[in-house]
Amino acid sequence: MTVFKNYVETKNKKPGPLSGLRVLEVCTLLFGPAGPSFLAELGAEVIKIELPPVGDVTRSLNPFGWFYKEQGPMFMHINPDKYYLALDLHIDMAQQIFKELCAKADVVEFNLRPAVTNRWNIGYEDIKKVNPGIIYLEKNGFGQWGRYAEEDRPSNDGAAQALSGYAWMSSFAGQPPLKQSIWICDVYGAMMGEVAVMAALHHRKRTGKGQYIEMSQSENIMRAMTWVWPYQQVTQTHAEPSGNRDQCICPADTFLCKDGLFAALAAPAPEEFKGLCAAMGKPELAGDPRFKEHTERLKTENALAILKIIADWAVTTTADEIEKLGIKHGFAATRLHTAKDECEDPHRRARGAVKEIDDPMYGNHVDHEIPINMSKTPPKHRWTVRPVGFDNDYIMAKILGRSQQQIAELYGHGVLGKWKDQQGRRPPSDWDGQSGAILRR
Amino acid sequence: MAEYKRAKWAAWADHVRAQDDPAKNFEKPEALDDLVVIDISSRSMAGCYCSSLLAELGAETIRIEPPGGDLVRTYSPNGIMVKDTGLAYLQEGRNKHHITLNLETAEGRELFKCFIGAADVLIETYPAGKMDAWGLGYEELSKINPRLIMCSITGFGQFGPESGRQQYDYDNVSQARSAVQYGAGEVLPEGKTVKDMPWAVPTKAGPHIAWAVSGTFGAMGILSALYHRDICGEGQAIDISTPEAYARLHDYQLMWYAHAGVTAERFGSLDTALWLYGFYPTKDGGVFLGGLRLEMWKAFVDIIGKYDEWKAEEWTTLAPFMKKDWQLKYQSMINPETSKYTSEELTQKSVEYAKSGRLAPITPVVAEIVSPWKAMHDENWQDRGMFTPVQDPVYGSVICAQAQWKATETPPRTKWACRPVGYDNAHIYLYYFGYGPVKLKELQDKGIV
Repeated sequence: MTVFKNYVETKNKKPGPLSGLRVLEVCTLLFGPAGPSFLAELGAEVIKIELPPVGDVTRSLNPFGWFYKEQGPMFMHINPDKYYLALDLHIDMAQQIFKELCAKADVVEFNLRPAVTNRWNIGYEDIKKVNPGIIYLEKNGFGQWGRYAEEDRPSNDGAAQALSGYAWMSSFAGQPPLKQSIWICDVYGAMMGEVAVMAALHHRKRTGKGQYIEMSQSENIMRAMTWVWPYQQVTQTHAEPSGNRDQCICPADTFLCKDGLFAALAAPAPEEFKGLCAAMGKPELAGDPRFKEHTERLKTENALAILKIIADWAVTTTADEIEKLGIKHGFAATRLHTAKDECEDPHRRARGAVKEIDDPMYGNHVDHEIPINMSKTPPKHRWTVRPVGFDNDYIMAKILGRSQQQIAELYGHGVLGKWKDQQGRRPPSDWDGQSGAILRR
Repeated sequence: MAEYKRAKWAAWADHVRAQDDPAKNFEKPEALDDLVVIDISSRSMAGCYCSSLLAELGAETIRIEPPGGDLVRTYSPNGIMVKDTGLAYLQEGRNKHHITLNLETAEGRELFKCFIGAADVLIETYPAGKMDAWGLGYEELSKINPRLIMCSITGFGQFGPESGRQQYDYDNVSQARSAVQYGAGEVLPEGKTVKDMPWAVPTKAGPHIAWAVSGTFGAMGILSALYHRDICGEGQAIDISTPEAYARLHDYQLMWYAHAGVTAERFGSLDTALWLYGFYPTKDGGVFLGGLRLEMWKAFVDIIGKYDEWKAEEWTTLAPFMKKDWQLKYQSMINPETSKYTSEELTQKSVEYAKSGRLAPITPVVAEIVSPWKAMHDENWQDRGMFTPVQDPVYGSVICAQAQWKATETPPRTKWACRPVGYDNAHIYLYYFGYGPVKLKELQDKGIV
C-alpha cells in the first residue's frame, strides 16, 4: 500500500477524523476516562471535568510507588489530548454551567453509580432539554437497572473479570482462576463505548436524533468471550480453561525454548502446518491421519499429542530460531515480547506506534500512539495530562464567554476549583509556572 | 427472575429500562442501515469480529469466503461442528450474508471490484501486499470508489520494516507479541522450575482478546472515517496491527520501562499498581476484592473483623500498601480470613456493610469469581438480555452474547447467528448484479463462485 508512505513524518500535517466534535466527560479511574481519550486522539475536543480539588482517583495510582514526575503513569497513559476543567457538580451553579456546556457539546460521558446523574440534575432528561441531539453515555459495573445495579454494588475491572467468567477462562486447567495483569474490562469496555457513541453520531447525522446509551463492563467483556457461550449450550458442560493453548486453533500455543525464553506459534492452515512440520524436521507428521485435517487435529487428544511433539522440539531450539523458522516456513511465530521489546522494537518505532510525546508540562516522554493508522485523517497522541482545573479559564472563556471577573466569582463560590497541593493533582515540581497554560501565562 | 429488594431510586431504574430494554430492540431503528460492508477476512477472527460490530448496528454485511469456506469456519474446541461451522465462527457470522467468490481467478477479482462499487466499507486481513498483488490494493479500489473505507487488520501492519512478513495474524501469537502476556500468570517460586510447575509461566488470556481488541479498534477507525466522509466525501485506508492494538492496553508498563528501566514481572492475581485489588480464596472458590480508596480498604478489614487488631484506625494513606512486600504480607494475612466464608457470604456482607457498617455507605467491592457456566445462568445477566438465544432458521436456537450495550434509539441486535458457506449466493448475486440461476451455475462450473 503506497498511501502510508511517509505516514509518520506527515501525520501531524493532517486533521484527525473527528475534528469539530466536542465531548465532555465526568469520569474517574479507567473504564470512564479511557474512552473519551480515544475520541481526543481521533481529533475531538475533549473536556475532562473533575471534582475539585482532588479529581480523578487514577492520579494516585502507581506501580510499586513509581511516579513519573509525581504523576501516576497510568493516569498519563489513559488521558491524553484533553482539556482539564474542575467543576463541583454537587453545587447548583455548577450544574447550570455543566448544562450550558452540554448545550454546546455533541457527546457527554459518565462513569458513576446508577441514578447519580439524576440526583445531580444532569440526567439524560435534563440534558436532552438543552440539547436534544446529545449522545449521552453512562458506563459502570452493572448498568442502570436489574438486580445488581439496584443493590448498588460497586464494581471495577477485577470484579468484571471475576463475574463474567473471563478470569476463569484464563488460567491453566486445574489451577485457580487468574486475574489479567492489565485492566482489560476497563479499557476494552471504554473502547466499545466509543463504538457505541460513533454509531450514534452516524444516526444523528441522518436523523438529528441523539440518544442515551448505558454500558456494563461485565456485559461488554462477555461479548468478547465468543465461543464459550454456544459451547456450553451445545455440550451442556462447563467451558474450561486451557492455559496458553488456544482450544479453537491447532497448533496454537506458547512453548518454553532452549534459551529459557518463550515462543508462541500458530499453524492451523494446511500449508502452515506443513511448514511447521518441515521446520521441526518431521515432514511426515503433516500426513498423519490424526493431524492432517484441522478439525481432526483439534480433537483434544490429538491436539495434546501434536503440542507435546512441538514442545519437545521447542526446548531444543531458541525462541529467535523459532521466530525465524516461522518466516522461512510460513507459519506464525514470535518470541514472547516484553516491555523492553515494546519500547525498543525498530518496527514499532518506525510505525510511530511507540513514540516520544513532546509535552510542554511533562517534557519528552515515551508512550503509545492510538493504534489506528488512517491515510487521510491520522489520529494522534499529542500531549499528556494536566493538573486538576488547569484549563478552567480557557474553557470558561472560549466556550461560555465568561469574563475574568465572572470566573473569579465562580472560584469564590467553590463552583470552579483548582488542584489540591498533593502529588498527582498539582503540576510537577520542575514546572516553570507557565508552560502548557493556554489563556493566561 | 427471583424477587429482590428494590432500590430507593427504583423509579429511575424503571424509567431507563422502559426506554432501553433489549427486549424492545426490534421496535427501534438501526444506526448503520444505510451502509454496505464487505468482509473478506482470511483466517483471522479480528476482521470477522469487526464486521460483526457493524452488522449488529444494521449495516448490510456481505461476508465473502473462498469456495469451500474460510479456515475460520473450523475454529472450535475439540473440533465440534454445528452443521458446517465451528463454535467460534457460529458467534461471528451474525447478521451477515455469506457468499463465495474465488479471488484467485481473474474473473472473481473483476466481480469483487463490482461489489466495491456498491460498498462503503471493506474489511480484510491478508498479510500486507496480498491485495496489491491481486490488483485489489487500496490505490486500485479507491479509483473505482473514492468513498471506500478500507480497513486492513494484520500482524505487522501496512508499513514499517517488518510489514513484508507474509505470516497470518493469530490471536495467541499477537497476545505474545503485544508484551501483555509476559506479565500475566502465576509466579514461579524460588527454587522451582517450569518443569515442576508448568502453569507458572507467562499466560495469555483465554478468550480471543487480541483479535477482539484489534477488531474493535478497526470498528472505531471505520466509524470515525465515516464521520469524516459525511463531511468531506472522501474515503480512506485504515491500518491496524493486532499486537500493537492489544499493546495499547498495556497501561503504564511501557513508560515504566522507558523511564525507570523496569519490566513488570508476573504478580499472580495481585496487582502491581493497586491495593486493595486481587483474587482471594473462599470456602467454595474465590472472590475478587477491591478497595482503591483507603476507606474501602478499612471497610473490608472491618468486615473480616480485623479492624482493631490490625489497627486500621491509624492508617492515613494507602501508599505503603502499594509496596510489593506489604502486598504479599497482607495477602497472606487476608487469605485465612476470606477462607472462612463462602463467596456468597462475603458478597452479602459487603452489600450489608454498605447499609449498616461503621463506614457505611462505603464498602469494598466483593465479586465471586464465577465460571462462565454460572455467568451464563445468572438471572441478572439473563434479565438484562445478555444471553437471549437467537432463533436461527438454519442453526436453530443459538446462545450468543449480545446486548453489550443498551440504547434508547439504535441499540445493537442479533437477527441470525450464521449462514452456511455460500448460503446467500443466489440472493446476493441476484440483488447486486441481476445474476439468476443460469449465470450462477455458469460461475460455479468455472470455480468462481
